[in-house]
Amino acid sequence: MSALAAPFIGDHYRVTAPATVSHPVPGPETFESIVDDYQRRLYGFALRMTGNREDAEEIVQDAFVRAYRALAKMDPQQRSELRLQPWLYTITLNVTRNRLRSKRATNVALDALADPDALLNETQEGPDQPQHIVDRAADMVLVEQALLQLPMHLRAAATLRFIEGRSHPEIAEILNQPIGTVKSHVHRAVRILRRILGPQVGRIVPSDRPTAAEEEE
Amino acid sequence: MTPLRCCDVERLWDEMREGVQPRREHVLAHLRACPECQEIYRENEGIAYCLTCLPLVDPPQSLVPKILDHIKATVKIAAPDSIARVESPIGRLYVAFRHTGITAVAVDRGEDEELVLAKLQRRLGRGLIPSQAPQWVTETVAAFFQTHRPDLEKVDISELTPFEQSALRAAATIPPGEVRSYGWIAEKLGQPTAARAVGRAMARNPVALLYPCHRVVDATGALHQYAYGVEVKARILALEGYHSKGAPPQAARPPR
Repeated sequence: MSALAAPFIGDHYRVTAPATVSHPVPGPETFESIVDDYQRRLYGFALRMTGNREDAEEIVQDAFVRAYRALAKMDPQQRSELRLQPWLYTITLNVTRNRLRSKRATNVALDALADPDALLNETQEGPDQPQHIVDRAADMVLVEQALLQLPMHLRAAATLRFIEGRSHPEIAEILNQPIGTVKSHVHRAVRILRRILGPQVGRIVPSDRPTAAEEEE
Repeated sequence: MTPLRCCDVERLWDEMREGVQPRREHVLAHLRACPECQEIYRENEGIAYCLTCLPLVDPPQSLVPKILDHIKATVKIAAPDSIARVESPIGRLYVAFRHTGITAVAVDRGEDEELVLAKLQRRLGRGLIPSQAPQWVTETVAAFFQTHRPDLEKVDISELTPFEQSALRAAATIPPGEVRSYGWIAEKLGQPTAARAVGRAMARNPVALLYPCHRVVDATGALHQYAYGVEVKARILALEGYHSKGAPPQAARPPR
């Protein structure tokens, strides 16, 4: 029997963080390029955290304003020691947290979840599209909603880990938590997602992906 | 080595994907023998795959200009403060203020005025426009020297970091005529290991006197440091009725 070369521990879609962009010492002067470089990434992160485009947009705006203010106050040495990317994620996460806390009562995403069928039907309306694309979109809505069901700290860990592709040490830096805590949060998030999405996962993952059993000789 | 239990194996899944797990061979051996764990790994991979499949949504084109406008608007808020000279029992003070309150107090030590202003501007991150002190400013400063309890409603520290603000508020609870240690403030903030951070916050206090960072000393009771010299710290404390019982404050070094 060969070593278990299953995709689940293999390289098929290993998430690796792209090399951190090393910026010249950031200052307010170069801020525009920082906005250019990071707005897309932070917007995506805020969107996954909130499930709402308007919220995501406002969160990113607010986060950049805060970052700008903070940078303006730093002296050159503090700036040169700053690790820009995790720092920006941290600010974005803090803004997200404050925002979600203040509007927790009106969480539309969770209401929708009460009736997943309604969600599916909703997605299937509209102009004629090939059935597999419609199905795919509906599945993605399910994944999106499942993520939003997680408690915020687990959602942050799972989003950073699997969607943003950050390493455990990077996430620890962003969340200001020990690495062990990060690992356990990721683990718990996956467990809950498995419970929520269980039956759907098999349908979403393409069937031509080799499974553990098939990889074994 | 003891064989791994299923719950350990499950926990190691994410690390296994990184390929750095030192017990990799053990996990693989367990997986080969345990269909349940194989199933869990497969499902977990499915979950991770699903998450990576979530579509990347681009922000609207308008986002960058909106952000930059927002920032410009904030910068406008950072209008310059006014700065005035105010005479006091410990000599001349420079007092920066705006309509929200006094934002900085510096003790004149005979340095070049431009130098003092430049330092203050850097600390505040705003420009300073020389002007006359309005009555509420002189009154607030005078109140400090009379009662040693100035009206902190007239002092604006909102631009400082949250930690600096709470450290200064804690310092303001020390009664005049008494001193406390950096560690005492740290305890009070619920962060007993943050004495050094408290020291930094005190050193960076822009509103000397009014927020009484001079009442904070080191654990031995030595006056430690002061932005305007330890001898000034001792003088202010003496005015408040406190006399260092520990090592006498160092005399000012004679100018060369």
